[in-house]
Amino acid sequence: MRLKLTLLTLLWFGICQAQTEDELNQISAHLSQATITQGAFQQQKQLKFLRNPLNSNGTFVYHQSKGVIWKTLSPVPSTVIINDNRLLTDQGEQAVPAAFGKVFQALLGNNLNFLTEGFTIAVSHHDAVWQLQLEPKEPLLKKLFLHIKLSGDQELRQMELEEFNGNQTQIHFEHITHPSELASEQEVDFARLSP
Amino acid sequence: MRGYHPKFTAWLWLVGMILIAVLGYRALSKDWLETSFLALLPTSEQNPEIAAIVQQRDQVLNRKLIWLIGAGDSTSAIRLAEQLKQTLTQSALFSNLTLQIPQQKYIDQYQQLFPLRYQLLTNETVATLNIDPKQFIQQNLQMLYSPIGQLQAANLEHDPLLLFSRYFNAAHPLKFNVEQGVVMVQDAGRYWALLLSDLENNDLQLDKLEYLQTLVENAKAHIQELHGELLVTGVPLFTAHGSQSAKQEISIIGFGSSAGIILLLLVTFRSIRPLLLSFLAIGSGMFAALVLTILFFGKIHILTLVFGASLIGVADDYAQHYLCDSYGVKNWNAEKGLRFILPGLFIGLLSNLLSYAGLGLSPFLGLQQMALFSAIGLLVAWLTVVLVFPLLLTGFSFEHVPGILKLTRHWEHSWPLWLFKNRRKLSLSLILFVTGGLWQLTPQDDVRLLQSVSPELMAVTEKIRSLLPVSPEQQFFLVSGQDQEAWHQNEQSLTQQLNALKAQSALGHYEAISDFWPSLKQQQANYQLLKDALYDSGLTEKYMLNLGFAHNAIQTELQVFKTAEHQTLDLNTWLEGSDESKQQLWLGCEHGQCRSIVSLIGIKDLSSVSALAKLPGVTWIDQVDQFSQLFKRYRIRASGLLLSAFCLAFLGLSLKFGWRNAVIITSVPLASLAVTLAALGWSGQLFSLFNLFALLLVLGIGIDYAIFFFIAEDRRASTSLGVTISALTTLLAFGLLALSSTQIVQAFGVTVGCGIITALLVSPLIGLKHLHQS
Repeated sequence: MRLKLTLLTLLWFGICQAQTEDELNQISAHLSQATITQGAFQQQKQLKFLRNPLNSNGTFVYHQSKGVIWKTLSPVPSTVIINDNRLLTDQGEQAVPAAFGKVFQALLGNNLNFLTEGFTIAVSHHDAVWQLQLEPKEPLLKKLFLHIKLSGDQELRQMELEEFNGNQTQIHFEHITHPSELASEQEVDFARLSP
Repeated sequence: MRGYHPKFTAWLWLVGMILIAVLGYRALSKDWLETSFLALLPTSEQNPEIAAIVQQRDQVLNRKLIWLIGAGDSTSAIRLAEQLKQTLTQSALFSNLTLQIPQQKYIDQYQQLFPLRYQLLTNETVATLNIDPKQFIQQNLQMLYSPIGQLQAANLEHDPLLLFSRYFNAAHPLKFNVEQGVVMVQDAGRYWALLLSDLENNDLQLDKLEYLQTLVENAKAHIQELHGELLVTGVPLFTAHGSQSAKQEISIIGFGSSAGIILLLLVTFRSIRPLLLSFLAIGSGMFAALVLTILFFGKIHILTLVFGASLIGVADDYAQHYLCDSYGVKNWNAEKGLRFILPGLFIGLLSNLLSYAGLGLSPFLGLQQMALFSAIGLLVAWLTVVLVFPLLLTGFSFEHVPGILKLTRHWEHSWPLWLFKNRRKLSLSLILFVTGGLWQLTPQDDVRLLQSVSPELMAVTEKIRSLLPVSPEQQFFLVSGQDQEAWHQNEQSLTQQLNALKAQSALGHYEAISDFWPSLKQQQANYQLLKDALYDSGLTEKYMLNLGFAHNAIQTELQVFKTAEHQTLDLNTWLEGSDESKQQLWLGCEHGQCRSIVSLIGIKDLSSVSALAKLPGVTWIDQVDQFSQLFKRYRIRASGLLLSAFCLAFLGLSLKFGWRNAVIITSVPLASLAVTLAALGWSGQLFSLFNLFALLLVLGIGIDYAIFFFIAEDRRASTSLGVTISALTTLLAFGLLALSSTQIVQAFGVTVGCGIITALLVSPLIGLKHLHQS
């Protein structure tokens, strides 16, 4: 059973539709919408079979039409560049399902409506502070994730992924800004995606 | 003609036709129509083993249909696809319809390979380990801490080095979005659900093909009504389209020539008897041709019938010559008429048969069928005229002046005189026209001209290709070796080069099983490599310790690795667990040769890909190119054939009429051939092997007309009437071929049409001497 699940993760299945759009619209109204979002992240991955969590941190840049640059700075530097249909890593181009890039971009781009396509969503919010709990609808995905929790105010501040097998990942987003232009090195990175 | 009894010969004919009818009853009660266009191509020129492999691969590919059902969102697309699948299931045309892919099955199959992860290293893993094992560990850490690590982390517990993740990912380079088990692709504004199907039978009969087409059309309309869109492609649809247009052409040509003949005969003879007799001759000829061709070949191809329909116009000639002979002769009787016309009819038959026999010498089944069909059709029509007409024409008289006679009179009398008067100017312009045309003549030898292709279907196929870049090209590599090890080595040296081409974007993808199944030797080498680089060196232990694995987890991993040392995975077991597309690549070991296919997807630079055939054990297979080369060779050979047929006819005519007369007679076909070729050159029409076969017919017809004028002497009026009517009917039949949507058929029609017109214009010049005397 364990192994089957791991293979399922490898296959990574896509996402499908749901309907709770009204509540999401309310939250989305609070969220800042910008062409560029950038900031830092702290990631903690807790794997049941490891004594210590895997901690890492780095920076990210989201550009509405160009995609995402995700740079892990510590403990092992790596760069991942993603758009709708391509994914580049330090080890060259990798094939990943389109859904992966899309979810990634939806989250970082504050484009929450996109998530209605794949999850049953429970919403709670006090003033500007909101929390979403996403449960996958796809039966095969259900075997992988219990839920994903998102919380934030004008920005997405935290994401928590609870896997079926007890593993847990938390990502905190900090120092979020919306510059009007990309830095030149960011331009160079995105340029690598264009064929 | 002593001992000649019209009643006896008619009985002889009747017995023969009854015999053919009995045979025909048996032949036509079986499945006798061939529609596949591959059946037209020759196989004999190839190494039979390779031919068998290609055929096997074709059969698999030729059953496949790819359906993409598009809608504004994925749920609707899936719903529409499910409806479509139901409709298709009910049609009972398909042996396999896949909408929901059996993911669980794939997962279960791959699970079996998990224990063999130490043996199943990818080429990249081996390369990294050989260069720097620390780099390998570094890559693992990069993966684990990066967002993609989310997909890998869960495997870490059982596969700390992520060996199997690497293997699995390499084996599935193209990942698709799967929703509700359905593969989805997306373009601007539309979600497309993928439905794959295999036809139950790869050699569908015409009615089934038509049913398939209606099914597709109805489904398209239905889905469009629901605001969706349907894209379908597959070889069966191309075949269906080709067959359908062939069928339409048969009826157009058949109906057109029949109607033309009826009209001409009624206007000319003002009597129903010649009409019935002509149809008796044509009908008997066509029926016998159909029956005997099926008996000889087992089946008859639909393109043969298209061509055969044009035979109506030729088979009618003998009857016309005979009937027209009665014109203008006082006290004409059938027997005397036959006596006069028989030598002409006989030489006409011989020259026609000679030209059709030329078709039979080609290696193309289609042309061989056409040759036999035409030869039998003409022979039987001729026999009908010679054996039965004398009896049935008893008491026939033809004394009124038909309207068409004014035209033929002008044509046989004034026209040649005018030509003669202006011979200097005319010869000069003829020479200019011919040399200019021949100068511009450029041959084309593309095998794809054989099939009529709908542009709409081509566009859909292109769109599907761009949405779903998975369909293999028709070109591929065949890799062989004397045993599995040798084969594996050969295929790996090929894939190394293919990877280099991929990096240069000369190639999209390729699929080769040796990339996913290391040979037994390689499996041991892989294990040894891991042992030396990661386990014995203590790197694995250190890496696991740093990540925070418990002490006993580390010991377990080391133990598992140790016990896995002598494991191996043989090719057959591996194949059993892999998917169909990979299984089809392995061809097995036979007669000391192990063989596999390396299929290619998205070739951008054909010449640098095909150049890899120089590697040991690698053969490049390009059917289209091979057939086109074959067309070219046979075009050159057919030119020789045309030349020898001409010489043969010249020789025969010299023996019968003397060489001076032979020169005069053959000048008609010579002029027709030259003008036709020049016209093809000027108009930029297709010039291929098939035009040459058409030119053979022009040669036969040209000689035919020339001879009738040559022996006409004082009966030019009736001769010209016969030649005109037969030329008009032939022209009608072949002219209608020019309407065909199949390029070669069209080229055939244009060529013969052009040749006949020239022959018609030139032939009255024969016997000009008599014209001056009269």
